[in-house]
Amino acid sequence: MIEQFKQMEKKRHDYAKEWKGKNDGKVMGYFCTYVPEEILYAAGVLPVRILGSHEPQDVTEPHIFGMFCPFCRDCLAQGLKDRYKYLDGLMIAQSCLHIRQTYTSWIKHRPVEFNKFLCMPHKVQSPHAYEFLTEEYKVFKKEVEKWTGKKITDKDLEKAIEVYNENRRLMRKLYDLRKRDKPPLTGEQVMEVVMAMQMTDKAEHNKMLKDLLKKLDSYTPDRETGSRLMILGSEDDDTVFMNMVEESGATFVIDDHCTGSRYFWNEVEDGKDPLASIAARYINRVPCPSKDWEERKRIPHILNLCKEWKVDGAIIMQQKFCDPHELDFVAIKKSLEDAGIPTLFLEFDVTVPIGQFKIRVEAFLEMIGEEDLF
Amino acid sequence: MSDRGYFAGIDVGTSYIKVVIIDEKNKITGSFIDRTSPDLQKSIKNGYGKAVSSASIPNNAVKHVTATGFGRENVSFANSVVTEISSHAKGAHHYFPKKIIIVDIGGQDTKIIKIDSKGKIQGFKMNRKCAAGTGSFLEEIAYKLNIPMDEMNTLAAKSDKETALSSFCTVFASTEIITRIKEGEKIEDMVKGAFESIVRRVIEMDTLIGTVVITGGVVTYNDVILKILSKQFRKEILTPPKPQLSGAIGAALFAKEEKN
Repeated sequence: MIEQFKQMEKKRHDYAKEWKGKNDGKVMGYFCTYVPEEILYAAGVLPVRILGSHEPQDVTEPHIFGMFCPFCRDCLAQGLKDRYKYLDGLMIAQSCLHIRQTYTSWIKHRPVEFNKFLCMPHKVQSPHAYEFLTEEYKVFKKEVEKWTGKKITDKDLEKAIEVYNENRRLMRKLYDLRKRDKPPLTGEQVMEVVMAMQMTDKAEHNKMLKDLLKKLDSYTPDRETGSRLMILGSEDDDTVFMNMVEESGATFVIDDHCTGSRYFWNEVEDGKDPLASIAARYINRVPCPSKDWEERKRIPHILNLCKEWKVDGAIIMQQKFCDPHELDFVAIKKSLEDAGIPTLFLEFDVTVPIGQFKIRVEAFLEMIGEEDLF
Repeated sequence: MSDRGYFAGIDVGTSYIKVVIIDEKNKITGSFIDRTSPDLQKSIKNGYGKAVSSASIPNNAVKHVTATGFGRENVSFANSVVTEISSHAKGAHHYFPKKIIIVDIGGQDTKIIKIDSKGKIQGFKMNRKCAAGTGSFLEEIAYKLNIPMDEMNTLAAKSDKETALSSFCTVFASTEIITRIKEGEKIEDMVKGAFESIVRRVIEMDTLIGTVVITGGVVTYNDVILKILSKQFRKEILTPPKPQLSGAIGAALFAKEEKN
């Protein structure tokens, strides 16, 4: 069903290299989902999100402090091991310090043609954030034009916005199907679709998504749903973990991850002009915890997801040492439990100890299952 | 009596295999504890056989077998499996049928399980990625100090001093202990310090407000833990008659429920 998406994700480097050959275009590697991909796409650049490879590695220790998260190390390892040699550009929009160090170290040791640190405001709830970001985008647009030698017109931006918005709408449709009593896809499968989404040409992804939605329309999977789970927390593309949980009598029906719903939940709405509209989108999107203050807006959103997707329990995961998520954890756990949703907290590393986690997950599922007995 | 049914719970732990046989009235009629060996199948079969013979019943009198613990999937003849969180909740609730917090200190796992007055699990925590605050911590310290494991408790009981170790880390703690003994600290004070380290690690894992029941192998052989915990909390800490068997008893109770 999702083999094509999986292949794209597994062979991410081949995909990008082939795209480059076919389109004679530039490829931009990016960190974190606050990068305004629409501006790059309008310039004919392919944005690809840099993710780790979940292998033990020994190349990042001199460059990243020991208590920075495993994800930022895994990403840097990809750069230092020259797996992204084909990149023409590298950029980040400020989210957290850990991944920023990955960016800084990467451009120092593996310089690229064009690199950019985009100053995405932290306090998105400030009344000035939107205007600030719009001005930053104007500067960024000019830089991209200079780099690619191509003028980015409003029309280009509008076209890019439409492709991206369509992608978001299709993904929301796919997520809506998971509300069914028997969700047609597992959480692991959906994770593959989202990962592919972050590494491929959105127009192509849209085509594949439309096909997939058609197939799923009347499809009922041959597996028990079991407990309906939500997974939320830091960056998470650990399909091995997802599989282990879903093999133990459960299905992930919804998530709150930047490698999941947070990435595509909000569309760009019509504003003053395309750049301003894009800025509004990134200011108002479901926030990463690094930006979710002073009011914690993510909590009512998470509780609403639980309600609409009929969640029995939530697995809160985080990359070890992920400060922003550590900040949110206590409040989120309490809010979920106050709403009657049991939680299980797990700390992820580059590779996860499946045996140790399995016991916790099975006990958690037994605990949720007990509800029926009382 | 021959028509009476028996039920077995097998708790395959990381350090010990515990087997319990109960009858229809939940009375323990047989049990056996053996070290977990790399040949799990052999240890399990041997432990089960010895438990059945200690109950003086024929093999086929056991109507249902439930396995728990890290090696629960390896009990090929089990009729059902349950995680150790559920079996510990069941076992402790059997002796203390009220709202309790179970602290189980095992060989490589420490678990904190909160259950309500009906025995329903409210939540649980386990140590993560590190064996500080478990039996393995003690074994390592005993090994480094060249003291037999079964003398650690008696040694610690001799001490009335509070000697906090600065690290929960097993390796760093043993380095610290050796250094401090070299500097003149008494061995018994340092051994008690090791027990206190376990207790402090357990306490920091979760909020322990309410009735605390402690189980597991470590407390079975080292009652000094109970004394340290009671002193820390200024209240009595409960423990069932056979704390090391708690998980296996829970599994046996599950076996009986399932069969009936």
